[in-house]
This record gives sequence, C-alpha cells and structure tokens, in this order.
Amino acid sequence: MPVKSDHRSVDPAAIAMLKIADQNDIDNIWERLEKQQPQCGYGQLGTCCRICTQGPCRIDPLGEGPTRGVCGATADTMVARNLARMAAVGSSAHSDHGRKVALLLKAVATGENTDYQIVNEEKLQGVAAKLGISADGLTTLELADKVADAALDCFGSQTEAAIQFAAAYMPKRLQEQLGKAEVALKDITGARIGLMPRGIDREAVDILHRTHFGCDADPLTLVAQTVRCSLGDGWGGSLIATELQDILFGTPTVRTIKANLGVLDAEMVNIIVHGHEPILSEKVVELARSAKMNKAAEAVGAKGVNVAGLCCTGNEILMRQGVGVAGNLLHSELAIMTGAVEALVVDVQCIFPSLADLSSCYHTQFITTSEQVNIPGAIHMQFEEHDADKIAEQIVQRAIDAFPNRNAAKVYIPQETAEAVVGFSVEQILAALGGTPAPLVEVIANGTIKGVVGIVGCNNVKVKQDLFHQELTRELIKRDILVIGTGCWAIAAAKAGLMNLDAQELASPGLKAVCKSLGIPPVLHMGSCVDCSRMLVLAGAIADHLGVDISALPLAGSAPEWTTEKAVAIGSYFVGSGLPVHLWPAPPILGSPAVTGILTEGSKDLLGGYFFVEEDPTATAERMLAIINEKRAGLGI
Amino acid sequence: MKKIFVDYKKCVACKGCEIACAIQQHPSHNLYALVGDKKTQVNVRVLGVEHEAFPVSCRHCEPAMCLDACPSGAISRDPQTSAVVLNPDICKACAMCAMVCPFDAVSFKQTHRAQYGRTVAYKCDLCHERLQEGLNPACVDACHSNALVFKESDELSNQRAVQNLKVYLLGDEGEPPLFSLYRELRRKEFARRRSDKS
Repeated sequence: MPVKSDHRSVDPAAIAMLKIADQNDIDNIWERLEKQQPQCGYGQLGTCCRICTQGPCRIDPLGEGPTRGVCGATADTMVARNLARMAAVGSSAHSDHGRKVALLLKAVATGENTDYQIVNEEKLQGVAAKLGISADGLTTLELADKVADAALDCFGSQTEAAIQFAAAYMPKRLQEQLGKAEVALKDITGARIGLMPRGIDREAVDILHRTHFGCDADPLTLVAQTVRCSLGDGWGGSLIATELQDILFGTPTVRTIKANLGVLDAEMVNIIVHGHEPILSEKVVELARSAKMNKAAEAVGAKGVNVAGLCCTGNEILMRQGVGVAGNLLHSELAIMTGAVEALVVDVQCIFPSLADLSSCYHTQFITTSEQVNIPGAIHMQFEEHDADKIAEQIVQRAIDAFPNRNAAKVYIPQETAEAVVGFSVEQILAALGGTPAPLVEVIANGTIKGVVGIVGCNNVKVKQDLFHQELTRELIKRDILVIGTGCWAIAAAKAGLMNLDAQELASPGLKAVCKSLGIPPVLHMGSCVDCSRMLVLAGAIADHLGVDISALPLAGSAPEWTTEKAVAIGSYFVGSGLPVHLWPAPPILGSPAVTGILTEGSKDLLGGYFFVEEDPTATAERMLAIINEKRAGLGI
Repeated sequence: MKKIFVDYKKCVACKGCEIACAIQQHPSHNLYALVGDKKTQVNVRVLGVEHEAFPVSCRHCEPAMCLDACPSGAISRDPQTSAVVLNPDICKACAMCAMVCPFDAVSFKQTHRAQYGRTVAYKCDLCHERLQEGLNPACVDACHSNALVFKESDELSNQRAVQNLKVYLLGDEGEPPLFSLYRELRRKEFARRRSDKS
C-alpha cells in the first residue's frame, strides 16, 4: 500500500491503517475528535468548577462576565483546585499500580502465592539495603516480606514523617531543598505546608479534602499540595512499582526488539496485551510461549502463539522479555483494524472504551481483566494473582479458539517495523558506564555531551501522532543532548528507528562518539510511564555523585504529546525534584494568571523546577539547549 | 432596533447558548426534560471552524429572504420586536426558506410545536415572547463571555469604539494576555493538526 502523508500521524503503519479506516468508514479517535469540535474553552482554560451543586460555575476569561463562582471562588482558585485534582488522580493511578505489586510481593513472601517467584534476588537485596533493612540471617522470602511491608507502609502511614522510600531514595540535598521551600512557604502564607510526602494515599486524600467545597482557596498552597502528592507518586508509588517489579520479574537488561504493527504475524494466533501492569502480561507471555499452548494453536491451523504489546504493558514486557511492541496509545484501535488480532487483553489505564465496539466488527476477543476496568461490550475474565497461571491459560486459549473465525479478507498488516535496542534500567546504564556515573559525568563536564533530556509519552489525538516525539528527539540528539525516556514516547522513538544503533549517525559528533564507545543508541528506552521513577533515580545518582542539587544539573524533562492525569503528576514530581519541564499541549491553567505564574516562574525560586509550554519541536529543543547551557554555566563547565 | 450581535473572538465554545435556547424552546422549560428528547428544538448552533467557534442563528434580516420565499405564508414578522417568526402549523417543509437563507439558520425536524408528527422548519424566534416581558433572548443571558449581546447597534458600536480607543489612547489592556496566548496556542495547534506535512 503506497504511503502518503496524513495529517493524523507521521507513522507509515498508522497512515496505511487510517486509509483502511477511511475506506471502510470505521469509527476512530481522530473522527471522534472532529465530532467534539468546538470544545469548551472554560474546560481548556480550567475555569469551570463542578465541585458543588450550587454550580457549575464558570469564570469569563475576558473579565466581562462573572469573576467569581457562586461560593466566591475566583478563576485562580478554580484552576488550582482542578489541577490538584488531576494530580491526585494521576498519582493515585500510578501508585495503585505500585500497591498491587507490593501486595503481590507480600503474598509471594508469605507463601500465599506460588504462581510468582522472586526472580531478582540481587535487586531485592539492593532495595533492602537502600531502605536500611538488614538481610542478616534472613531467607530471601523473609527479606522480601520486610521490603513488602516497608512498601505497603508508605501507602498507609499516618505519621508526619516522610515515607520510607522517598526518604531512602531521594537525594539528601533535594530533601533539604524541599525543607527550605517548606519554610519559605510558611513565611509567605503563615501556614504549615509540607512538601515531603507523608503517605502516598494520604497526599491524594489530602487533595480530595482540600478541594472539597469550602476548603483551600489559595492557589499557592493548592499547587504546593499538588507537588507533594506528585512527589509521593514519583518517589513513592511509581518507584515502588518499578523497584518491586524488578524484584518479581527481573531488572530490564539490554536487548533488541521489533516495534510497530508488523510484529503481528498473519500465520499465528496474535494476542495483544495493553494497559500498564506486568503482573498479568508476564503470565500471558509465559503461557503463550509454552509448548502446550503452541500445540493448541497448531491444532487450529496457526503456526503458534504470538504476543505483542501496546502502550506501557508493551513497554514492561519488551524491557524484560524482549516481546515486540505493536504500537503506542493511538495504535490501539489501528491494531484491531489489522483484522489479525485474536485477543486484545487489557488491565488498567489508557484503554479506550471504543475498543469494545470496534472489536465486535472483527473476530477479536476484547478481554478486560481488572475489577477496576469494566467496559460494556468486552468479555470480562477476572484476573486473580493467586490463580494467575490458570487464568492466563484460559485467556490464551480463548485467543486460540478465536483464530478459526478470522476473516482473511479483512487482514492487512502493514509490514513497517523498526528494530530498537531497549532495556536501559538505571542498573544497565550504570553497567554500560562501568558501574558508576563517573564516565557520563565526565563527558558532560567536558562538553562532549551537553546534557540529558528525559521525555515521557503519551500520544494526544490533538497532536499529529508521534510528530512531536520524533522531531524533538531528533533535534535534541543533533544538539549533543542525550535523550532518555519512557512510556508512549519510547514506543514512538522505537518505531521511528531512533533507538536503533544506526541512529548514532543522526547524533551530533560528540554524542555519536560517546554512543559508539558505549555501544548504545543516542536515545535510551527506560521503560513504561511508571518507570519515570528510573529517570528520577538516575538524576539523583548523578547529583549525588557531583554533590550538587538536581536543579543544578544540565537536565530537562518533556511531555510533548501528553494526555492523561498521570502526566500531570509526572510533570509535577519532575518540577518538584528541581527539573524544568516542557509541556505540549498546554495544560488547563491559562484561565488563572496566579497558577500560570506559580508554575512557570514562582516554582523556579522555590523548587528549582518549572514548566514551560511550546508548540514547535525545534523551538522546544532550542529552549532546552538554552536551559542546559544556563545550568552548565551555573556549574562552571 | 435591537439585534443579537456576535463577537466571535469572545466565544469560548461552551455551548451555554445552545442549552439555554433548548430550555427556553422546550414545553417544559426544564433542563432535565431535554435529556433524550429528540423533539427538542435548538435554534442556535456553535460551530467550530478550525480553532474559531461561532454561534450561528437567524439574523432576523429586513427584508428577510426566507419570508419572501415562503410559498405558504408560514413566515412573518413580529410587529413589536421585528423578529422573523415561523408558524409550524402552516409550514409545508418545502425548504425554500433554508435554500435562500444566507446564514444557514433554518433546520428541519419533528419539533414539539409541529402538529401530527410532521417534520417542519424551525429557527430562532428571537425569544420574542421574552422580549415582550422586557427580558433578553435566552442565549444572550446565558453567554458569560459577552460573545452574544443584545443591543441597539449604535449603542454597541459606541461602546466598542470607546473600549478600543481606551487601548489606543490610554494604553489600557485590551484582551487579557493569557487569553490571547490561549487563542494563539489553539490556532497553532489546529494549524499543525491540519498540516499534511510531517
């Protein structure tokens, strides 16, 4: 199929599938966006309040209509409350993912669950040591029990002290900086305002309370709590998810995978796992690779069972199992349209409800598995960790049973795939560097590499799919900037071939030389969106090595096609940790001069980190280079 | 004569006007009664044209081409308010009015006012019954950003001229800068989304 340009995506596989969607008039997310136009400006500006039933109230951004809601809330209050709620939801989603991993580790440790094992004892010992838990005289399971308890305590702790994971992992200097910011906030407001998270659940509940009718109305304190809750996610819930998953499923190691819809195989039973948590997908991969299941597939005329990932579940299993990834968020409908997917198995987060109707046009079994994600029209097969093997087998069998119903006339799999070298956990990056950040610090100090930018997904249908991800990444590596990242950005970069060793040729001479000597691509895949914690840990390791604040380092973050509330939390914990963060599209805050000012300017003095909005990828790269040069000058390098 | 004036740059596409119109036109005058009621009549449509939004409704022209074109005499002018109004009992749904309307402000369906389940033409009636009670049209009252105003044209043009002169002569702030930024970012977002170039 000839590939032409398309205003919806830069990905040739997506363009081919969209042509099929257009020809067959298949409903899709791009069409639904058009049908939603024009979208309400109050919502986009953040000045719509639905918190009580005296409303909804809206503040006229032009200052000609009402300037206060019924209760007296101003635009500043409304925007800050809405933003805080977004961060609470985003933090809760990622942290709840972490909770489930901690609960599973506990169940494995106590022997309650025998379907999973401790795969990485070294990581377990490393995490325990970091937390100050002595392994002396303890069996592996006893140590795992103590680590699981420490993690679970971070969720429900009721003391004023910082949660154990944050206290242990966050650089001491950052903790001191946050302490100073707490004092500064007290001087400004008179209120006792904390920034170190006391409890992962507590900080989210604090926002729910604080934003209840008639509570906090000060944009500054609302933003402060937004940061605190988000830090509880980045240095708490998400970090727990990453670290404990590494214990249960293995720390990612460098490997080569294939990316894009071409990972689907027309002659095999194709199962796509989509969502976020590896607890289910690891088992699906394990069972799909078993001789028994492959034999069952052969019995229905297939060559075997092929698993592919989508979104961050895809990232989890590509990092640890080398499973090919079919695409990122905006590929989820397109994958079904290939007509070659027997089952789309989902857990939590970023799953379009539209997938149910779309699947019903094909033989695709759309299977929900989490009690938190029920979608009308889907088949629900409740996943139970204690019975994981059995349920995973039933899921794989269901896919195999669907294979004979595949309509060959509807099958079209675009063959474009790219190879990507992935698996750059902090441990792997340090291993590539010889066990210490020193060589990386040295090449940054001598200017061979000017700095590092961390980018995180999503896709956003308002932005041409992958355009910003690809262009920003290309522009950065041209400017001696190493790019690391996670989530749907990572899949975009993999699909574009930017994680291939050949991509070294796209990098500036300095970066290229460093990548060649280390045998790495200039663009590093650090995992799923929950693994943004890996970027924090890496930034912390570099800062500790140099004995400076994270905010002094030549680093920046970006969420160039962001969609979700999780991204609000990620951006906020990056900013709270001292990093400048680029966003596009603009967040719903422009209705409030105060909140816009705090997030883009005020936080610079208070936290070191701040947000900026830019719609052009090249201009964004230029701005980041300027930021990095400014930080370099600050460090005297 | 008072008219509904549209300042599209102030329209934030909240569609508050559509909801207010639907409530005003519904026999129940109740928001909750509209839900799922396909006979609900909405006489104003907020249309998106790229990043801009525009509330489209009858301009109550004088002379009105729809009025002249209607072969059954269903369209007339309200003597008190000069509103162009349509009598669904006489309407034959021939669509002559829709064909000549320069603003595409005439629609067709089975409304609550249509007798015997017929499809009829419907359009904005300028809320002429509200006007007689000294009220504004419902859409105008619902608009918080003043994209819709109901005024005498002289009064409005003087008011706007003075506002603009304040910016020009006194250096007053015009559009709030963050709102200008919001509009500019939306324009760029749409321009990029529409572009075929990668």
